[in-house]
Amino acid sequence: MNAMKWKALALAGAFLLTATVGCTDVTVEPKSTITETNLFNDPGSYQAFLAKIYAGLAVSGQQGPAGQPDIQGIDEGFSQYLRLLWEAEELPTDEAVIAWNDIGLPEMNTQLWDENNSFVVAMYYRIFFQVSMANEFLRETTDEKLAARGVTPELKAQIQQYRAEARFLRALSYWHGIDFFGNIPLVTEDDPVGATPPAQSTRVDIYNFIVSELNEIQSQLPQPGPSTYGRATGPAASMLLAELYLNAEVYTGTPDYADALAAAEAVIGSNAYSLDPKYQNMFLADNNKSPEIIFAITQDGTRTQTYGGVTFLVHASIGGSMTASNYGVDGGWVGLRLKPEAYHRYASGDQRAAYFYTSGQTDTVSAISDFSKGIAAPKFQNVTSTGAPGSNASFVDTDFPVFRLAEAYLIYTEAVLRGAGGSIDQALTYVNDIRERAYGGTAGDITMAQLTLPFILDERGRELLWEAHRRTDLIRFGEFTGGDYVWSWKGGTEAGTATENFRDLYPLPASETIANPNLVQNPGY
Amino acid sequence: MARARSIAGPLLVLLSLLPMAAQAQSGAIRGNITDANTHQPIAGATVAVGSRGSLARDDGAYFISDISAGARTVTARMLGYAEGTRTVTVSAGDTVVVDFALTPQAVNLSQVVVVGYGEERAGNITGAVKQVNADQFNPGTVVTPQDLIQSKVAGVQVVDNNVPGGGLSIRIRGATSINASSDPLYVIDGVPIGTSAGGGISAGNDALNFLNPNDIESITVLKDASAASIYGANAANGVVLIKTKTGQGAPHVTYTGSVSASSVTRLPEMLNAAQFRAAVEQYAPQNADQLGNANTDWFGMIDRTGWGQQQNVTVAGAGETNNYRISVGYLDQDGIIRNSGTKRLSLGLGYNQRLFDDRLDIRANANGARSDDHFTPGGLLSNAAQMGPTQPVMDPSTVTGFYDWPGNTLQSADNPVAILNLASALGTTYRSVGNARAEYSLPFIEGLKADVNLGYDVTKVTQKTFNPSTLHGESKSGEGGYDYRADRSQLNTVLETYLNYAAPLDVVPGNVDVTAGYSYAKSHGENPSLTATGLGTDLLTTEGFPTAQNISPFLDTQDSKLISFFGRLNYNLNDRYLLSLSVRRDGSSRFGKSNAWGTFPSAAVAWRISEEPFMSGLSALSDLKIRASWAKTGNQSFANYQQFSTFLVGNGQAQVQFGDKFVSTARPSAVDPNIKWEETRSWDLGIDYGFMDQRFSGSIDYYRKNTDDLIFTVPVAAGTNLSNFLTTNIGSMKNEGVELSLSARVLDGADRRLGWTADFNASHNTNELTSINPFAGPAQQILTGLVSGGVGTYIQVLQPGEPINSFFVYKQKYANGKPVEGEYETLPGDSVAERRAFHDPAPNWILGHSSYFTYGKFNLNFTLRAYLGNYVYNNIASNLGTYQELSRASPYNLSTSVLETGFMTPQYLSDYYVEDASFLRMDNITLGYTFDYADHPVYASITVQNAFTLTGYSGVDPTAGLNGLDNNIYPRSRTVTGGLSIQF
Repeated sequence: MNAMKWKALALAGAFLLTATVGCTDVTVEPKSTITETNLFNDPGSYQAFLAKIYAGLAVSGQQGPAGQPDIQGIDEGFSQYLRLLWEAEELPTDEAVIAWNDIGLPEMNTQLWDENNSFVVAMYYRIFFQVSMANEFLRETTDEKLAARGVTPELKAQIQQYRAEARFLRALSYWHGIDFFGNIPLVTEDDPVGATPPAQSTRVDIYNFIVSELNEIQSQLPQPGPSTYGRATGPAASMLLAELYLNAEVYTGTPDYADALAAAEAVIGSNAYSLDPKYQNMFLADNNKSPEIIFAITQDGTRTQTYGGVTFLVHASIGGSMTASNYGVDGGWVGLRLKPEAYHRYASGDQRAAYFYTSGQTDTVSAISDFSKGIAAPKFQNVTSTGAPGSNASFVDTDFPVFRLAEAYLIYTEAVLRGAGGSIDQALTYVNDIRERAYGGTAGDITMAQLTLPFILDERGRELLWEAHRRTDLIRFGEFTGGDYVWSWKGGTEAGTATENFRDLYPLPASETIANPNLVQNPGY
Repeated sequence: MARARSIAGPLLVLLSLLPMAAQAQSGAIRGNITDANTHQPIAGATVAVGSRGSLARDDGAYFISDISAGARTVTARMLGYAEGTRTVTVSAGDTVVVDFALTPQAVNLSQVVVVGYGEERAGNITGAVKQVNADQFNPGTVVTPQDLIQSKVAGVQVVDNNVPGGGLSIRIRGATSINASSDPLYVIDGVPIGTSAGGGISAGNDALNFLNPNDIESITVLKDASAASIYGANAANGVVLIKTKTGQGAPHVTYTGSVSASSVTRLPEMLNAAQFRAAVEQYAPQNADQLGNANTDWFGMIDRTGWGQQQNVTVAGAGETNNYRISVGYLDQDGIIRNSGTKRLSLGLGYNQRLFDDRLDIRANANGARSDDHFTPGGLLSNAAQMGPTQPVMDPSTVTGFYDWPGNTLQSADNPVAILNLASALGTTYRSVGNARAEYSLPFIEGLKADVNLGYDVTKVTQKTFNPSTLHGESKSGEGGYDYRADRSQLNTVLETYLNYAAPLDVVPGNVDVTAGYSYAKSHGENPSLTATGLGTDLLTTEGFPTAQNISPFLDTQDSKLISFFGRLNYNLNDRYLLSLSVRRDGSSRFGKSNAWGTFPSAAVAWRISEEPFMSGLSALSDLKIRASWAKTGNQSFANYQQFSTFLVGNGQAQVQFGDKFVSTARPSAVDPNIKWEETRSWDLGIDYGFMDQRFSGSIDYYRKNTDDLIFTVPVAAGTNLSNFLTTNIGSMKNEGVELSLSARVLDGADRRLGWTADFNASHNTNELTSINPFAGPAQQILTGLVSGGVGTYIQVLQPGEPINSFFVYKQKYANGKPVEGEYETLPGDSVAERRAFHDPAPNWILGHSSYFTYGKFNLNFTLRAYLGNYVYNNIASNLGTYQELSRASPYNLSTSVLETGFMTPQYLSDYYVEDASFLRMDNITLGYTFDYADHPVYASITVQNAFTLTGYSGVDPTAGLNGLDNNIYPRSRTVTGGLSIQF
């Protein structure tokens, strides 16, 4: 081949290559969408991302009241965290029934759910949605990433507190996770985002994880103050610890009432809270002013709208001859009533039952789907303590108290009664403080002799009615399943029948045991 | 760079195999190869002298040097031509001129077919490729280019759309995707349109409407993956190559014009006024006092005879070294629903200049149009079906003068004539696609060409929708008037450059043709829009809303990139053994990081048995070729940015309380950062055959396509991603089928006697979704096919083991030949009546037939089409075929199906409404006459489109769109077109 030909070849090759130089980069960053790359150019984004983890408890998606849902596969209104949590904690117990026939819902009243029950399934996914959000927040706020983005020291310090809050919220959901489902995967910020199914951890491992997390973040969380309402604080972490220790025997097989007592003492000893003088005020549209609430899932008629949450509780509790506007809303959804056992637990004079609505209602629940069967209990209302309606008649202003001081008193007392030490006299004082508020005087005070564990279970039922504690309490006392204690519709009959013990745990969702082959289904399902 | 070199390297090696310069002391032969009939050059003809050979260039010239002196036999061969042989005496140092005029034997073998990045002779193609030329195009009123090849190509389904200019889908060998597009890639004059298959934006009608069918020379369909795979990640649905016309001959002006009239063929069958009154009095007597005394045919009030016209003027010609073509076209086509229609003003430019002794060939093409579309306002057809025929059209007592049911209840139908007169839905699209291309035959190395092609595709779209506050629907909903305005734009640019080397090699026997290149395509789109409700005034219609209670603006920009390297090697030994290998490497901005680049190889072999010496005894057999091919192709036509976790900012009603203030939230979406193309692996086995010098010719193909990594949104193990569902590459599906075609010149029509060419094609495809999520077991279902009636009523299903979008219905129980309301058969294996997958909308067989008759100066052509085994869900009958609809606050009119079923309540999920919609349709029939007027050739014709349809289907149209849902679809028209063409 002569030189000329080589030249031509070189020319041709050069021509082809020149055209390609520098043109093999196919990356195109989206310009009109927000991604990890540009989100944190706005320092406010850290707070917005953290707010999403809180919002995961309060609303159902990015568009209030409905739209852009967080999880799929279930009606968006049904998928709201608090609504699912409340239904899972209350409907299968002696406290509540719901009239509706949505697929899967009737079985929640009777403990007869299966692994396809969409409310059980959605609860599981809601818990892990919270975990995923918290993990992602932690991944996005590592020291390396913050340094790379040139975050100011002031903001960095702020973010350290945000990280502690995210870990608190993750711990809260993991608590719900082990409480409902037992052995579940433990996924943390150290696991990469992807599609690799995680391994199943034991209830004990996750219990230990939650406890160590809470102890670690305790000091990083803010102390209660004007900017902390609705947010995690040191006492809130103590309260969550108290709940865990109180149920340690259920979760780990080993009781730990001493730590439960200490945690309750820490809450009480913070002196940040006092009993609300008026019981009912803690469930009204301006309950954000209550001095008693330690941690709340906040709701707002104009700015935090959802078809779940307290909006569900207020609307669904109204039906029959009740006038919706008396409760600050534009209509009743004709759903929730008391089971008779809960109704009859209150003695006359107990003002905690003052709001019960009996007109046209029977005290027995002879038919679940008939609203008039069972006493109505509009505990949560969209009117303020002064009687004014909330800001919006469709969506309520009423926050949901997750933890409040009275429960810390009851935990302290139960721990003392279970031999954790502490002062039995102090315990009696706490209980009578609660009862004096309930009776508006000393008429309901009890004696030391009356202060027994069965009394505590009943008193928790009275004080914390419909506050999403009942299933956990009954399990701790060994009365949720089995035949020691039956109540209306337990097991599917009006008189109540024994249920099998495996129902102390909900089943892992069928879709989840398919998507994650590492999972072993809970026994019995 | 590294990637560039990895492709360029082997190319350089190949090029180094070029024939070594031989010694002098010998002679040379040069000459021109032409077609004996047309006198046109025959590019690519092989000329051989002993072991020395050469290929004719594009201008037909060839040159062979280093031929030792003496008597030499020169042969010239070209596929489809009789071989030419001459003996000459070569003397040392001399160049002998030997010209050949080859006699064509089988034109359809020698025809030049456009393929990806090049052209090939039809007879030498190793894949399943079909080119349709202008003279075979469907005649009459054709707005959208894809309609030109309806029924012309086996295995290609052009899914009808009855709206004039409405968007057409093409399915080549079945659908390969569910959540990405199943439309093919369109390539116009070498420019891929959009950066993904089916790309392009429009105001609502077909995105290809900018291209005047009168400017198209040929449409080539690359059906099998080996032919298409040179387009890599865009090729899984096949490729449609469109070549625009170029100027030829002496300068001339051509005028082509037509006028047409379209009329309605079928409408939904609804109760008439007397039937409606009787039904109301019997089943909803409480509503009887609402009934009026009119006898209104509501469909009759909104349909019409649609007039149309087309005018095209073309100036074209060719000089020694150049050719040019300028065309201006105007189309105005009314729809058969009043106020609907489309107008198009189009311009086509083509210029070709050859320079430097024809070594440099520069072509520039640009086609563009403005389309003005009037759409039917939302709800027009459904309300025409629902509105009571006893009610009057006008009511002088109302604000608008139109009658509407008393009471502003959301439950009543609206007066469709009011909708027609008050509401508007308009669109304007400006789009132009063009390119400039230079092809340079490099000096010193015969057969080496470099090609650079720069293309653009620019679109600007305006959409306007206006519902005045006085419209009944607006006052009912309390919306207070609605105005929507979108101004979207898109600019795509493409650079493609490649080298092609083709020469007969002395080192190896046979012809080698190598192509290697690089492509860079970029797209930028901007999509602003405004929605206003609660209009301050209705006066400004679509043109403004000075005040409105709610105005929500929206803006979104979209960018994408596709960078590719490609190479192809064709090897041809004596036109007998053919091999084609190609590979494309695509990098796309839509792919996740670890899958940024995909490689798409193909291999095809063919054996032309008819060229074997042992077949020479069978002189009747003019062509017999066996083909086999395999290829892997991709589908990247899904949304941009799927691999990024995007943060969605919550609205002002989804805030949370932080102490004393409220904070908006930001949520990251679940994401598969490694998302990538859907991948199809295809096999094709084919036979091309021809008898009696190709008087009878055709193909038989069997194919199988397995698509994997289908994109689905599926549940993902909790905790691993950012939500419980994830969009990821997970499903798979397969298509399998056969295609048959036969083209017969039954009568050759010599000496102006009767000529008849008949083309037949038949294709059969079976589709099966094999998996949605392999981890989730077989019992998965995704419901699709949302129909009118009820809330969230889905009538179709995606279910492994079944064709996609199979109907998902109960088996109706019958008594005395009538369906029993609410009773369904319990199928074997079930304990109660359950829904099951039942037929699907895709036809089992598509049959096409075109006949072309000539006699003297007359020609008569027609095209018939039949579908067998396509099913359609009659949603008008299921939704309005129940007496319950009479009990609304104001009664709905009913489908006449209620007279047969007597249903009181809706039975949406009954298979009663899933009908076999097999049909035979005379798509078009044309009579033409050619004559001279004052020495100017004139062609006059009359065409009837949709002359008749034979079907057992009861609804409006058995070709009810892609998904087989007949739900207030635009009715089909019969169109009569008179056309005239004069050349000056």
